[in-house]
This record gives sequence, C-alpha cells and structure tokens, in this order.
Amino acid sequence: MIELVRDTYRYRELIWALALKELTIRYKRSVLGFLWALLNPALLMLVLTLVFSTIMRFAIPHYAIFLLSVLLPWTFFSQSLSYAVESIVGNGDLIKKVKVAKLVFPMAAIVSNLINLFLSLIPLALLVPLMRHPFYWTWLYLPVPLLALTIFTLGMTFFFAAANVYYRDVAHILQVVLSAWFYVTPIIYSLDFIPPKHQWIFKLNPIIYVINGFRLSVYYGMLPKATSIIASFVCAFISLFIGFAIFRKYQDDFVFYV
Amino acid sequence: MSSSSIPIRLQNVTQRFRVIHERPDTLRELFSKFFRHESHYHDFEAVKSVSFEVPSGQMLGLIGRNGSGKSTLLKIVAGVYRPTAGEVQVKGSLAPLIELGAGFHHELTGRENILLNGLLMGYSKREMQEREQRIVEFAEIGDFIDAPVKQYSSGMYMRLAFSVATEIDPAILLIDEILAVGDLPFQQKCFERIQNFRKAGKTILFVSHSMEEISQHCDRAILIERGSILADGPPGDVIEVYKSSTALEVVGAH
Repeated sequence: MIELVRDTYRYRELIWALALKELTIRYKRSVLGFLWALLNPALLMLVLTLVFSTIMRFAIPHYAIFLLSVLLPWTFFSQSLSYAVESIVGNGDLIKKVKVAKLVFPMAAIVSNLINLFLSLIPLALLVPLMRHPFYWTWLYLPVPLLALTIFTLGMTFFFAAANVYYRDVAHILQVVLSAWFYVTPIIYSLDFIPPKHQWIFKLNPIIYVINGFRLSVYYGMLPKATSIIASFVCAFISLFIGFAIFRKYQDDFVFYV
Repeated sequence: MSSSSIPIRLQNVTQRFRVIHERPDTLRELFSKFFRHESHYHDFEAVKSVSFEVPSGQMLGLIGRNGSGKSTLLKIVAGVYRPTAGEVQVKGSLAPLIELGAGFHHELTGRENILLNGLLMGYSKREMQEREQRIVEFAEIGDFIDAPVKQYSSGMYMRLAFSVATEIDPAILLIDEILAVGDLPFQQKCFERIQNFRKAGKTILFVSHSMEEISQHCDRAILIERGSILADGPPGDVIEVYKSSTALEVVGAH
C-alpha cells in the first residue's frame, strides 16, 4: 500500500499528463471542445428536470436533484471502470516497447473521470438554486464521500484492468455487471421504497455506503451516520487492497499478454 | 575493475516466451481447451543463459540473424521484460532508442508529445521544458511542432523521436537499428550525436545488421545465435565468425 502511494507521487506528472491526453483526445475534434465536459451533464440535467417535473411526476420533490446527487458520482464510477478496464490492453503497444509503471494507466483513467465529475458538479450547483432547492452547508462535506468513492473505484479499476489482460471477456462482462449494478443500487429510487424486511439485501451492496453521503448532503442537507461513514471507508479500502494486490502480482507479466 | 564502472551486467539471463498456437482469448475457448486437455502453447527460450558485462564508455555491437534474440536482449536491459531467470543490473539513466516514437500519440502535437514522451521515460516536466527548445531545433521540424504528429511525414516523425530520446543526456544508450531514419544529412547528424555520446564516455549497446556500422563504430561485438552468445571480442573477429557461420549454412542448404 505504501508502494501505491509512493508510486502515485513519483509518477504524478505522468498520470496527470496521461489524464489530460485522454480528455484532449476526447474533445479535440469538436467545435466546442472542452466545453462539452460541462455541457454534457448540463444537458442531461435539463432533460431529466423536464421529464420528471412535467411528464413523470414522482412523490419526491425536486426529483432531478434527488437523482443527480447520486447519478453523477455513479457515472464517475461506471465511466472510470469502463475506461480503465481497457487501459492496460489499450496501451499494450507502449508497454511492449517502453519500461513504464503499469499503474499509471488505470490511475490516469480515474483522474480524467474525476475531472469530468468536478466539471459536472458545476451545473448541479447551478441547478439547485434554479429549482429553488435549498443550498445546504453540507455540500462542504462532499470531499469525504468523494474520497471514499475514489478509493473504492481505484480498487475495482485495478482488478478489472488486470483481469482484462488475461481474458478479454472481462470488458464485456463488466458492462453487464455495471448495468445490473445500476438498478440494484438506490440511484433512481430511494432505499425507503424497499419494504423494510427486504432492505438487508440491498445493504449487502458495498457502493450504497459510498454514494449515500452524496445524496444526504446535497439533497437532504444531512450528514451520514458515523457507522455509514465507517462502512464506506471499510468497503473502499477492502476494494483497494484486493484490487491493488492482484494488479501488483501480475503487472510484470502484462507485457507478455497484451 | 570495480563494479561501479560496469553499468550493464547480465548474469545467466534466460527469457522464456510462451508461444501460444491458438490463443484462448475468451473464457469459452479456455474451458473447451481445458476439458479436451489440449496444450495450446509451447515454451520458447529467446535468450538462453546469457552473461556479459559492458564496461563504462564502451560501445558494444550486437549482431546475429533475425530472431536470434538481439532485440529481446535489448528489451531486457531496457527493463521492458523481466527475465524468466538470471540477474540484470543496469546502473544509471538509460535512453532506449528501441522503437522510436513508441510513446507518441497521433492526435497530440509535437510539443505535447515531447512532454508526454519525456515523462514516460521518467523525466520531470521541468527537465523536459528546459530541453524543449533544443529538441525542436535538432529535429528541424519548424512550425510543425504545434501540429498533431499524424500530419508529420515519417521522416519528421522519426527525427522528432530521435531528438527527444537523445536530448535527455542519458548515461546508457540502447540503439536498435534505428539509424536508417530520415534523409542522409539527418543520418549523419544522428551519427555525429552518437559519436559525441561516445566521446562523452557514455555506454552504448548497439544492434545492427550493417557490419560496416558495427566495425566502424563499436569497440567490441557479440554474436548471438539462437539465444546464446557464439562469439565475443573485437568487431572484426566477431564479424568474421558471423560471416563464416552464415556462409556455411548457405553451402549446407544446397
């Protein structure tokens, strides 16, 4: 684990440059360029707000904010994984020719998606007053769930990036897992909708502790319970330990399989 | 001789590759192979128990036929492969001129690629910014430096790559047949630069099929044949061994 921190620091400039490269390439050919990183979530919000305030009315007030407060972190999670799962195989040519620390590739995928997440929080922050939803001071708490989410995602990312080197099916399986995972996680609905006797099943899902803090602080203006915060970091670190241990064990052999 | 003056040392280095006949790319293939007890690979030793040392300041030429293991050896020294067995010691900063432009990305500009490539080789952003001007000048690509490298001609591409790889003042250079890049004047510039490296006491490992280049530039040569060292000594002698061994084979084939 110390190795992970040390290498991240040592290669910080490379990770940052690779993340920026990813973003540059993603937006390069478009007229609006980098603005799309802001426009994308903003337009998504516009659609959601219109749909849920006029066409599909839910019993939840300000449903768009209710939804977006966890949809944006979820998007970060699923996008990071989708990018990172291919990060080793996709850079195979480079790995075969240059001595390079393998962990920079999944790391860069995470960083570029973190930048996207930050940019998407800006339109959310604009939407809150627009919908006359209170702007709670608990927004200041967001760095805590953000940290847990990043650690959790990093661990999963290491695991999937390594596994995909050996079996290319992993990238496909991941897409199925992610879409199933989306629906069993209280993102478009609330855990309260589930009958209390079945709630324990949903509570087995580690990511609910991680993303719970986002909805509480942005939508409800509350802080999570201490047990929930602890649970989120326990899940995050278990993910990181297992993911990085597997990645580290196989990283020197990646070059023979990419 | 003290060990500090030996920048490259290989001891009984073996590199085994798994040659996969029909690669089980998917789980289904893996399962079906598994149940039929088929072996879908064989192991192949590209480098077999090779030991040699390169003293500081020496230019060592590696010769041998295609597939003999020269490039694999270079990649072991470069740290791209971790050898299956044996020990590799490399002391000092290393510039691999193995596959020039490997780290280049086509959508990025020359300037962006200079930075990214430098970072990939382990240099800091500041170091690369300090050298940027000199890299651009040596590569002679003028205003193209701010254009995406996909618009470069192949000569420009290689010139920039060579320039980035050599402007960083390494202690050890690994050169794999890349000097056929660019036009004649640029080739001469490359050789001049390599001569300067030699004068500055850098250690150079040089792979080439041109016996002329080997005898002209190297202090010593090693002949590799099927992953093992067949001859080691002054370039002239080693080239003779190489020539007679290939001649013999040609005769034997008739």
